[in-house]
Amino acid sequence: MAARHKSVETKYMEERDAVLRGLRGLDRRTFLKVLAASAGAVMAKSLMPPHTFQLVEVANAAPDKSAATAGMAGQPPFTFAYVSDTHLYPRTLNQRFVRAAVKAVEDVNALDPQPDFVLFGGDLAQLGRREELDLGKQILAELKAPVKMMVGEHDWFYDLGDTWQEMFGPPNYSFDWKGVHVVVLMSVHEKDFWTARKMTPAERMHTVAGLDNGIQSRFEVGDDERKWLSDDLAKVPHTTPLLVFSHSPLYKYYRNWNFWTDDAEQVQAILKPYNHVTVIHGHTHQMLYNQIGNISFYGMLSTAWPWPYAPTGLPTLTVQMNRADPFDQFDGLGDGRINVRPDGLADKIYSLWDRNPVTVKADYLVSHGKTARPPAPQFASY
Amino acid sequence: MSRRSIALATAAGCAAILAGVAYAPQVLRAQQAQPPLPIHQVPQAKDGGVVVMLCDGKTSMEVKGLKTGESMSHAQAVEVTRELMAQWQREHPNEKWEIAQTEQAPAPMSYAASAAGAKAASKGMQQGDTYASFTERDYKIWKNETDNFVAEGKDLFHDGAALGGTIGVSCDMCHPDASNTHPETYPKYQVQLQKVALLRDMIDWCIENPVKGKALDPNDPKLRALEAYILAQRKGVPLDYGKH
Amino acid sequence: MKSARTLLLSFFAAAAVVVSYSLSSAQGPGPLADPKSENQAGFPATLYSWVIPPDNPQAPAKVALGKALFFDDRLSADGKVSCGHCHAPDKGFTDQLPTSMGIRAQFGQRNAPSILNALFNVTQFWDGRSPTLEAQIQGPVTNPVEMGMKSTDDAVAAIKAVPEYQKQFQDVFGHDVNFADIEHAIAAYERTQLAFDSPFDKFINGDPSAISDSAKRGWAIFNGKGRCMSCHGWNPTQPLFTDQKFHNIGVSAHKSDFVPLARQALDVLSKSGGGSEAIDKLAIGTDMSGLGRFLVTKQPHDIGAFRTMSLRNLLVTQPYFHDGSQVTLWDTIDHYNKGGVQNPYLDGGIVPLGLTEAEEDDLVVFLASLTSPEYADAAKQEYDLQFKRSRTDRPQRDTAAANGEKGRDGPGLAGPFGDIGPAQNLENPALLGGD
Repeated sequence: MAARHKSVETKYMEERDAVLRGLRGLDRRTFLKVLAASAGAVMAKSLMPPHTFQLVEVANAAPDKSAATAGMAGQPPFTFAYVSDTHLYPRTLNQRFVRAAVKAVEDVNALDPQPDFVLFGGDLAQLGRREELDLGKQILAELKAPVKMMVGEHDWFYDLGDTWQEMFGPPNYSFDWKGVHVVVLMSVHEKDFWTARKMTPAERMHTVAGLDNGIQSRFEVGDDERKWLSDDLAKVPHTTPLLVFSHSPLYKYYRNWNFWTDDAEQVQAILKPYNHVTVIHGHTHQMLYNQIGNISFYGMLSTAWPWPYAPTGLPTLTVQMNRADPFDQFDGLGDGRINVRPDGLADKIYSLWDRNPVTVKADYLVSHGKTARPPAPQFASY
Repeated sequence: MSRRSIALATAAGCAAILAGVAYAPQVLRAQQAQPPLPIHQVPQAKDGGVVVMLCDGKTSMEVKGLKTGESMSHAQAVEVTRELMAQWQREHPNEKWEIAQTEQAPAPMSYAASAAGAKAASKGMQQGDTYASFTERDYKIWKNETDNFVAEGKDLFHDGAALGGTIGVSCDMCHPDASNTHPETYPKYQVQLQKVALLRDMIDWCIENPVKGKALDPNDPKLRALEAYILAQRKGVPLDYGKH
Repeated sequence: MKSARTLLLSFFAAAAVVVSYSLSSAQGPGPLADPKSENQAGFPATLYSWVIPPDNPQAPAKVALGKALFFDDRLSADGKVSCGHCHAPDKGFTDQLPTSMGIRAQFGQRNAPSILNALFNVTQFWDGRSPTLEAQIQGPVTNPVEMGMKSTDDAVAAIKAVPEYQKQFQDVFGHDVNFADIEHAIAAYERTQLAFDSPFDKFINGDPSAISDSAKRGWAIFNGKGRCMSCHGWNPTQPLFTDQKFHNIGVSAHKSDFVPLARQALDVLSKSGGGSEAIDKLAIGTDMSGLGRFLVTKQPHDIGAFRTMSLRNLLVTQPYFHDGSQVTLWDTIDHYNKGGVQNPYLDGGIVPLGLTEAEEDDLVVFLASLTSPEYADAAKQEYDLQFKRSRTDRPQRDTAAANGEKGRDGPGLAGPFGDIGPAQNLENPALLGGD
């Protein structure tokens, strides 16, 4: 690359010098005018020499060169946002999680233009109580864009989904959006571990809420719902892009923490015939992505707390984020958006709080890491 | 494991399996296609002990003082199998057989004298010092105590309220299985505290900040138990103080 | 070794007095401007050895020349503003104004930082846009609202016009007056301004009676409940009370409509694929100043972030924060206590602290103990003034927010969630049975 390393400050000063040199010779009035001018106008005057800053790119849905791809040809690209894993306690107990959920809602509401819809990624409540789900519903009601709800295990296992379904409808459903077929799964079913142990609902919920106790069963989509998925997809041509929303990852990352879907292979087999499949999942509370065959997987960030990467099983494609700073109540957390391209593949923008956003492009996943590599973390060297 | 030690283990294993037990016909039935295997007849015990037989079906010896159902201590078993092998070798002087190393550098446990008082293992070794005089019972007590202490720490680790937390956050939320606690990197300059910290200093900071409880005194048994649990999760990880 | 250094320093002092007397166009700057001894309780010798650049070693004549230049009004376009004008020794090397006033009574956007201990800063200015003390000098000299020179050439010309300076430059540097050497000389002078001899320094270095019990309680709060230490870090190697990093603590959001400003900045960033120079120019004297470090790095996470400043000699360097918006130390603590002012880029480390009035008082007494002895009297007077005011006038105080009984100030928190807060004595619902 270039010569010796230059600090940010040195580069800044050099550029500033160049600018001021360029301005010298202008009379004072013009000088002030130029100062007061908008950024755009000044740029237009070409007064600035090129620079070498590394900037965060805002991914725009790039028009597909081979736009003749069937299924989505001629359809506009679109963007949706997400808020996930809010894990709300009653507001009288914990206001930090409420504040974080509100922060995510504010972020999404500040987007301009607004996304087509907002996906809620699951785990709205922490312990599945009606009060918590109500609070979550109130917070999400502040979103300007329409919301698509998805259920997580923390919402479900107190009363096995009664309150959730009453408030938000069926846990799995599908819809079509601008040429894309969208499936929302309930992927956190668990085989009964509570009856034999004579657990109360609260005990069952408490067990599911603990990541590392090893008592609960592994997540699964389950026979019934896999059948539903097959039937639902029966009418969808293989050229139609698929978006699959799931709380559990739909692949096997780390069994001990239920970063896992037991029938992942079977679900993937159902999705295999499709040209373009993107799975958006929650539960893992970290920047995470993977490619298995024809399926791209993007994990969503949580708003409540971050999780470390598991000791084994991390997909090789994931470029890790540096661990969170516990001094910063929002570090390692955030929300984000997914830009769906005209060809049906999707790029993801991780809007990490208190860090620069990170964009992961479909090209990176689909090429198995050969192009468009996301930025690497800077681990402490000491 | 070396070939020698495998050989010894196999001998010991054979002997143990055959101690007073004949092959069960049910096992044989599972192997339908094969002809019935010979059954080794274990001779009767003459002195009220347990007869141990080698897998050749012939060599055997009686372990006096051992009752049926009782198991031998490791030291005793080593002695017994050694005897059996010696017997076999006397009868097969021309057979090639490697003698397994019997004096390995063992864990202290293998030198413990059993309650039955077998002094066999102390033959030819230093005696009388503190660390050689611990018994199986001692080790069991220690393990029990330590495991209990670690288990206490595990409970606290999963229970924010017990640490005085006021917002329902517990340690395991950000640190499942105590991951990302890296206790092996202390002492180190802890950025959040802006000073060189030990593990318990950081535990206290986390109790105060993300968990929003009251920091525990360094000698508080709860803090010590938490430290124990975290350290126990990192058994075998090399120490690397100062690493960030 | 140390005695030789002390000897050298007295040379500095003597030389400085002589040279400055003959060259300055106004009355001398007084003894508070003299180079400081290294013989101070908390002086960080190791750190000092790291920050003296090899291409600009200290030397008495150079320091004397630098001091003369520092207090020389000739370096400004109207001949009325020297470095010492905004960095006055008797005011802790600041001007005790909210934002500084330059030539022709124009006001800038930022509060003047102190020169004391500036040599130890990793970067200079509130937004860290300058990498060294030397490089920093050009900024104010050519800034139209500060010293207003059209260019560094004009500055050189002004200095060259004085025969004594020409001689000094030849003696010290071996060549003619030039701007680089002006920078070297002034920086060398600035590197003599040390402040490590406060009562706290004596206390932490072994004298338990050096500070009051109230200050000791304040020190404990500083390390614990106040969460101050994490950013205003102190350790024996770097006893500066700063982590040298940049944080958005919500000060800009007090005054400016920060959100549209930030959005505008991001807009420029995304549309122009850079726009760095454009943003840069807008920083010099417009309301974009509130964007802070972002203007230097163009990184979204730096929006509204400013450098953590040292906490020494605060009672002679009031008012506080990058815009000088807070008048007393109680105001600054109230700002932190309530969790800052909410804005989308507020550093996640800023949270409501729940400090009581007594704890705030102790914290201020601790901060007062960071005063260098030469400012003790002035600081006492200022403390009394601030104390009096703090009993009646607390514009930033928001006890309900500090205790988490309601949401913080700032946009976006109106509505049903403006009153989020915990109740007392609640059980952990994870342990609730039945229902």
